[in-house]
Amino acid sequence: MVRLSLVPKDREFFNLFDEAGTNILHAAQLLGRLMKQWPDAGGLGREILICEQEGDRITHDIIHRLNSTSVTPIDREDIHALASALDDIVDFTEEAADFMGLYAIEAPMEQALQLTGVLEDACRNIAQALARLKGFQELNHYFVEVNRLENEGDRITREALASLFRGGIDPMIVIKWKDIFERLEHAIDACEHVANILEGIVVKHT
Amino acid sequence: MEPVDGVHSLLPDAGRGAPSPAAVRLAIVDSDSGFVRVLSNRVGAVGWRAEILTSPPPVEELSRLRQHAIVIDTSVLGSEAWPYLAQLCSSSAAQAVIVCTGPTSVAQRVRGLRLGVDDWITKPCHPEEVLARMEAALRARHAGTVTAEATEPVLAGELEIRADMFEAFVGGRAVGLTRREFELLQLVAGATGRVIPRERIYERVWGYAMAHGDRSVDVFVRKLRKKLEAASPGWKYLHTHFGVGYRFDAQEAGDVQEDDGDGAPPASSASLPPA
Repeated sequence: MVRLSLVPKDREFFNLFDEAGTNILHAAQLLGRLMKQWPDAGGLGREILICEQEGDRITHDIIHRLNSTSVTPIDREDIHALASALDDIVDFTEEAADFMGLYAIEAPMEQALQLTGVLEDACRNIAQALARLKGFQELNHYFVEVNRLENEGDRITREALASLFRGGIDPMIVIKWKDIFERLEHAIDACEHVANILEGIVVKHT
Repeated sequence: MEPVDGVHSLLPDAGRGAPSPAAVRLAIVDSDSGFVRVLSNRVGAVGWRAEILTSPPPVEELSRLRQHAIVIDTSVLGSEAWPYLAQLCSSSAAQAVIVCTGPTSVAQRVRGLRLGVDDWITKPCHPEEVLARMEAALRARHAGTVTAEATEPVLAGELEIRADMFEAFVGGRAVGLTRREFELLQLVAGATGRVIPRERIYERVWGYAMAHGDRSVDVFVRKLRKKLEAASPGWKYLHTHFGVGYRFDAQEAGDVQEDDGDGAPPASSASLPPA
């Protein structure tokens, strides 16, 4: 007897999300290297910008496919939300890298190195979850880990901001680093948002 | 080695003719309480004594105060600004007169400088810049009285540090230091053999308190060390004291045992103190 699946066969969405996962991880790894090597970061900023453009391209491809497909393997609103949230991660990552040059940062802050490490770990978990998304199985531990990392990112950001507002710090340093810490925190928050959307998708398919 | 606590100001020492940092007396004639507070805190931090005057006293009275420098906002002088400035500059009220006031025209600034004002700074301005300009004005005032002894360079290993040129030389060849690198070198070389904590280096060279986690000192020491080692490969000058700071000591490369990495503790979440 032939077994019929009710799930549409269009696997291209999964391939595009897998591609997006690889891209966010690559961008986060480049930002980690940029932060460690700063101010001798060479062309890493440019490479991150290319990732951001690649992210836009993938998002566009997903939305285009969504508009031209009548039946999708995941709810349409989930595909849309997931694509947008993944794009946010790489956008904030690129902004943080851009601000390092734009603000003529002389040297990195330890907390920025820690935050980029957290971002990289969160992106790695998301990339791995996206690579296994089509099975909708055994993904929960990735979401738990991303949530834990987001809490860790919040804690580091709060401490980093508090350290800027201790007396006697150059106001220019405060302005510049507050912006950069916030961009890094937004990138990590966007990872949590992605994990939440994925968790919802998995619940609907199990 | 004991960390240095009282590292002197970057102002040239008394031997160069300018007053020593502790002896500098300054009058601030300004009614802008916020600016006065910030500037007096800053000059106080480098050991200068500031007299705050919210309205301009007669020039003769200022002369009696025997200040080294006067910072004045012309807005407190009203319509008498030009005659007052002319009298002040021609008197012996101070060795340096700095006007620090709001936006003015080119013609006004040129007129003031030609009257004898040593420098003209436009508000809003940074207190560190005002301090640096006062130092420069005091140096300029004493340029003619510099003694041969005072211009002697600091010699360490193959290195010759020349404050008069903001540069270090090896065998007569310039190392090629930026201003900040030079200031850092001058600071640590002025305390040869003693460990200077990273926070203290930042405070003296950058002029502010160091934010926890800021790696600027480590980055600039790394740049400076790279330049010095390229210019003088057989010698080590900057030594790392892990988790504390840096020490300047000219040692032949073979004699150096310690790690020459960053003085900062490793970047890990465990190293962060509670907020």
